Amino acid sequence: MMKGSQKSELAKREQRLAYKMLLPTLVILVVVALYPLVNVFVTSFTDKTFASSKKAEFVGFDNYKELLSVKIMKLPKVENEDGDMVYENPLRILPRKPMRYKEAFQFNFFGNRYVFGATNPDFLSSIGNTLNFTIWSVLLETILGLVVAMIVNIKFRGQGTMRTIMLVPWAVITVVSARIWEFMLMPTRVGLFNMIGDWLGISNGSVSFLTNRALQLPTIILVDVWKTTPYMALLLLAGLQIIPGSLYEAAKIDGANKFKQFIYVTLPLLKPALVVALIFRTLDALRVFDLFQILLNNQRYSMATYNYFQLIQAKRMGMSSAIGVLIFILIFVFALIYMKGLGVDSDD
Amino acid sequence: MKRKLLTMMMAFVLVLTFSVAGCSSSKDTNDTSTNAPDTTQDTDKDATSNDDSSKDTTQDNASEDKKSVVTVACGAVGIELDLTKKAVELFNQDNPNIEVRVLETPDLAQDRLGLYLQFLEAQSSDVDVYQIDVIWPGDLAEHFVDLYQYGAKEVAGDHFAPIIENNTVDGKLIGMPWFTDAGLLYYRKDLLEKYNLEIPTTWDELETCAKTIQDGERADNPDFWGYVWQGNAYEGLTCDAVEWIVSNGGGSIVSPEKVITVNNDKAAEIIEKAASWVGTISPDGVTGFGEEDARNMWQTGNAAFMRNWPYAYVLGNSDDSAIKGLFDVVPLPKGDAGRGAAALGGWQLAVSKYSNDPEAAAKVALFLASYDIQKLRAIEGSFNPTIKSLYQDEEVLEASPFFGSLYDVFTNAAPRPSTATAPRYNEVSTYFYQAVHSVLTGESNAKDALLELEIELQDLLGFEVGAPE
Repeated sequence: MMKGSQKSELAKREQRLAYKMLLPTLVILVVVALYPLVNVFVTSFTDKTFASSKKAEFVGFDNYKELLSVKIMKLPKVENEDGDMVYENPLRILPRKPMRYKEAFQFNFFGNRYVFGATNPDFLSSIGNTLNFTIWSVLLETILGLVVAMIVNIKFRGQGTMRTIMLVPWAVITVVSARIWEFMLMPTRVGLFNMIGDWLGISNGSVSFLTNRALQLPTIILVDVWKTTPYMALLLLAGLQIIPGSLYEAAKIDGANKFKQFIYVTLPLLKPALVVALIFRTLDALRVFDLFQILLNNQRYSMATYNYFQLIQAKRMGMSSAIGVLIFILIFVFALIYMKGLGVDSDD
Repeated sequence: MKRKLLTMMMAFVLVLTFSVAGCSSSKDTNDTSTNAPDTTQDTDKDATSNDDSSKDTTQDNASEDKKSVVTVACGAVGIELDLTKKAVELFNQDNPNIEVRVLETPDLAQDRLGLYLQFLEAQSSDVDVYQIDVIWPGDLAEHFVDLYQYGAKEVAGDHFAPIIENNTVDGKLIGMPWFTDAGLLYYRKDLLEKYNLEIPTTWDELETCAKTIQDGERADNPDFWGYVWQGNAYEGLTCDAVEWIVSNGGGSIVSPEKVITVNNDKAAEIIEKAASWVGTISPDGVTGFGEEDARNMWQTGNAAFMRNWPYAYVLGNSDDSAIKGLFDVVPLPKGDAGRGAAALGGWQLAVSKYSNDPEAAAKVALFLASYDIQKLRAIEGSFNPTIKSLYQDEEVLEASPFFGSLYDVFTNAAPRPSTATAPRYNEVSTYFYQAVHSVLTGESNAKDALLELEIELQDLLGFEVGAPE
């Protein structure tokens, strides 16, 4: 408060000007972002059908209940046809009315077998897939991006050319690069990876990267890392360039080796750029759509592709709006964690 | 406290800017394209610019000579677009009062549906005639006019009855049949001769033939496989699997009388059989194959048999094909039903209810589906006509001889249960191909997968469960 009253007339005037200049942006934000958002929020409480004249009815929290209800139940042992004791089929255990709980997975706990049932396991697994994708891809991109940024930050001949070439994967439209990867990942020896695998003798030349469940996520993460590392490198390079060279000289005189220079000079000074880059990438990765849609289609969903499935294939606009709201809340939580955790809001 | 609020605000604005694309896909039509693959987006942009100009022309011409503009949304796969443009030119010669524009749409049926739904949700008059898939009439009927009101009565009888029936919803003809498709078995004449084998007529025979040829050919060609088909988790697998199950007497998922029939031993048996092909007579990667993947393998001479649509016939006989003149087509093999089954495919032309001039639009649709145009398309692009008499036309038969020999296959093709399950067919099909795919990849067995599917469909549709006829 003290600080505020001490503000000079000039500072106040500048502040007022800033508000005036921000106004158009705020108005546009309200029109293009807030209005659709409120609309989505309202629709999420209805059973509206997409592209249909059917009247939408208010259904309260039904869409959310269907998306998020879970139940854990113990599986009893029963005798099967051959007289062996086996665990009961979860289909017979999980309730079917008023909403059916489907098996998501089973687990053992203190010698008992339990089944985890959810009314919509597809949506829950889409959250899992998205989080998995986000954590791994952002982690790998940050590490690789930092390495690349530090390399192109060194002065050498052809540095400018290098920096331009580095950006090529990022410049290619995601849909196009996804198609190129799809071709390279072909499940026959026409595909590059199968050809190399076969040539090295490590596979039979018929590995299906995109339909084998164990390989799907690693493959998608790999494609995303290839594509987005340059972007990360670019952001970090900007951060590296504002670190004055004199600091390194001083550190060197004080006897710090390269590693210590990195830990005590580069990293702390790079932190603001790193945080911005991390936030951008995380929020981007959480709403990943194109890679999942093109490479995995309906085999495995990200949150955004599941939303698309509910809207276009199932035409359930109310349901897909509810998913949209949940995605929004999740991303919001992530943004908050980043801002609190990494101290973006501090004044200094 | 104040700072906390500020953080909240900042986070909120940040998320807001980021989530415009993320959330609003569920909201309004323009934003959906932000999320959709870029192909769609481009087409969408094309569409808008196209439409703007068409609106302008409408207004300009209204003051001059009342010229109508009709926009046709159609496919652009291979030669398709050229043929449509050719037909439109012919139409424009005779009808100077109607200007026809052609709007390209995405290749994948699923993407195309996404684009159409955006036009239809907005009740847009920008597109007048839609090219719709054989599985959509039940789903989209409310958006289209009854073509019987616009002069289709006289010509409907010339077309295949099952397709007309498929396109009739509550007594209204909502789509004019344009071309039809049916699954066929492609086989290598030269290889059957080399190994002294007969053309297989049952799935068991196909297995043996494929195995024999594959074992023999592997000596020279390690990439050779016996049988390729569509095993990826998409609509194409629904077609393949419906063919298996119908040919084995297991019904077609949901009967026309709205009974869920999919969970039966015959169906489980044939799906298990198909799963046993993966890695033996079909490559492991077949569970990632679409039509074009299968055709690429086949056309380079690396497969003895292939299940595919008729379009592969002309392409297989093109000059750059390794198997030009070495193959032929027959009906798909049979199982316990004693008769093979071919999935019914194909596209229709429907006229939008929201069109500014449905009269002119219907005229265009009827012209495009007329005898002359279907003949042109049959000869130049081997698109199967839906008009019965074209299968006796000499010029057509000369271009694609199998049209004559496989006439029965085309007239008796097995429809997917799109009418009985409308408007939820897309979900039914998705659950179905996901279930079949899980068996093919070995994650599940057919019995469990079908039981689960049956319950899923019961919840989705609310129909009774029963045995197939």
